[in-house]
Amino acid sequence: MLELLIAQLKWSSIQYRRYASEAIGGVIALTATFYGLFLSASYIGGGSVRFGDRLDSVIVGYVLWSLVIFIMGGIPGTLQREAQVGTLEQLFISPFNATQILLFRAIGDLIIQTFLISIVLIIIMVTTGRWLSFSPALILPFITVVLGAYGIAFAAGGLALIFKSIQQLLGIFNFALLFLLTIPTETWSGTQQVLGWILPMTTGAGLLRDLMARSQPLALPLLGLALLNGLVYFALGVSLFRWAERAAKRRGKLAGY
Amino acid sequence: MHVLEVQSLQKSYRLSGKVVEAVRDVSFNISAQEVLAFLGPNGAGKTTTIKMIAGLIVPDRGSVAIAGRNPHRQPNALRSLGAVLEGNRNIYWRLTPEENLEYFGVLRGLSGRVARQRAKVLLDRFDLSHKRKTTVQTLSRGMQQKLAIAVALIHEPQLLLLDEPTLGLDVEATQTVKQLVREIAHEGRAILLTTHQLDIAEELSDRVAIINKGKIVAQENTVDLIRQFSGTVYEIELEDGLSRDFLETLGRDRFQKLKSLGALIEKNCIYVRETELLYQALDILKPLAIARIEKDQANLTDIFLKFIREDYYA
Ligand SMILES: Nc1ncnc2c1ncn2[C@@H]1O[C@H](COP(=O)(O)OP(=O)(O)O)[C@@H](O)[C@H]1O
Ligand SMILES: [Mg+2]
Repeated sequence: MLELLIAQLKWSSIQYRRYASEAIGGVIALTATFYGLFLSASYIGGGSVRFGDRLDSVIVGYVLWSLVIFIMGGIPGTLQREAQVGTLEQLFISPFNATQILLFRAIGDLIIQTFLISIVLIIIMVTTGRWLSFSPALILPFITVVLGAYGIAFAAGGLALIFKSIQQLLGIFNFALLFLLTIPTETWSGTQQVLGWILPMTTGAGLLRDLMARSQPLALPLLGLALLNGLVYFALGVSLFRWAERAAKRRGKLAGY
Repeated sequence: MHVLEVQSLQKSYRLSGKVVEAVRDVSFNISAQEVLAFLGPNGAGKTTTIKMIAGLIVPDRGSVAIAGRNPHRQPNALRSLGAVLEGNRNIYWRLTPEENLEYFGVLRGLSGRVARQRAKVLLDRFDLSHKRKTTVQTLSRGMQQKLAIAVALIHEPQLLLLDEPTLGLDVEATQTVKQLVREIAHEGRAILLTTHQLDIAEELSDRVAIINKGKIVAQENTVDLIRQFSGTVYEIELEDGLSRDFLETLGRDRFQKLKSLGALIEKNCIYVRETELLYQALDILKPLAIARIEKDQANLTDIFLKFIREDYYA
């Protein structure tokens, strides 16, 4: 298991290093965006996912938004790319199941993406002299959101296995994501509140808002709920993926056709 | 014990309302050190069979056992299997040979350390050491295919599946791959290879299974199959100017009698296997006009084609 994770991490880092020229566009866009946010602390791209008006809240909102988009597109993207270059089936000829391999690869990619973002942020902080400070507690609600995002990524991966081309669907997902991350369910009550708990990733995002914009302490019961929400969506996504994998194998179209 | 046991595999696809019976009741075994060539025209069901063995396609019916384990239920069965699939790159062109071997080694269940050791040995053995740090996309097609085979061997599987392994290779690379296949079988692995290049099956295989329209129509020791036909096959060509339909000329009665001699009938030619049968066949054909009688120097290509056509006319 650990060996597989290490191998995946190495795989991802080689891809990034060797094809830096392809990654460079993304890094430049990232830098420009952060720079803009630093200068104006206002709306840019996903800047509407804001956890308050202070610079650090805006940055956290943007980082969360961009990472979740990155995660959601990751697994279907991997499946489509591998099918295109003709390596996909080799991933399924393994004593490890495909879910595990895809998850580890996604984690490898996420670690590298996070690393890139951190580097860019640090460089900007050094050059502008404006320093952000985050509470380490942020990481907990962040994780619950990321879990839900992986669930959705697996679901999208399952659809990619069966329908092959799902670019448009991913566009809709990204649109829905804006809604899920910004809708202020933490202010809802009654049945609405229950609905808020059921929506994917929303509770975790609400917790982040509480922490960043309202400077409230971390509400543990709500964190538990957010974690449960993340776990349930993760499990649902993985189940859907497994089902799709089986269906694709039954129809003989794991790698196209 | 057989390394691979395939029992009554069956698979049909539904494609835009039509049902394609891709594989029908296919059974065979392969032992260690044995090469079985799976021979058949395009669309015969070779790739579907290979993918059912590799756990990539779920069969409608039938079973697969690799070293006694079912790849569809026991993921560990895949530890005993390596595969190079048709028309696929199978390896990452953006990585170097070394990186490919190490990555796939771990993916097949090795530790990073063992994968690195084996990678080194395989690179040496496959004569790729000098390219070990070059990205795969810049290698020649032959080297890429060699590497794909090396990667399929990284976890030392007992069974190797090669789907059209020489497709698109030049003469020299084909030669290299052939040599490798022989070596790999010699070191004790079981190999299933599909090919439409019949000379390759003839040179490499211990046994041949001929598949047509999803069905195995012949399965025999390669040497026997060739001996059975070569030298002792007679081809009788009839003049068929009389009727548009040759079978009409021949008549149902004659057709049945010839069949019971084990003759193959194709267009206006009839093939019989032994001298004695030749005269019986001539008796049956009397008084039809004969254009030509010839002793057939068959090679596997002809045998293969005959079986395929036989099935077509049946
Ligand atoms: N996923 C699929 N869906 C529908 N038909 C398929 C699929 N895969 C293969 N076929 C059909 O099944 C038959 C056997 O194909 P295949 O196993 O690829 O043959 P071969 O490898 O011998 O050329 C062909 O008629 C092919 O068109
Ligand atoms: Mg094929």
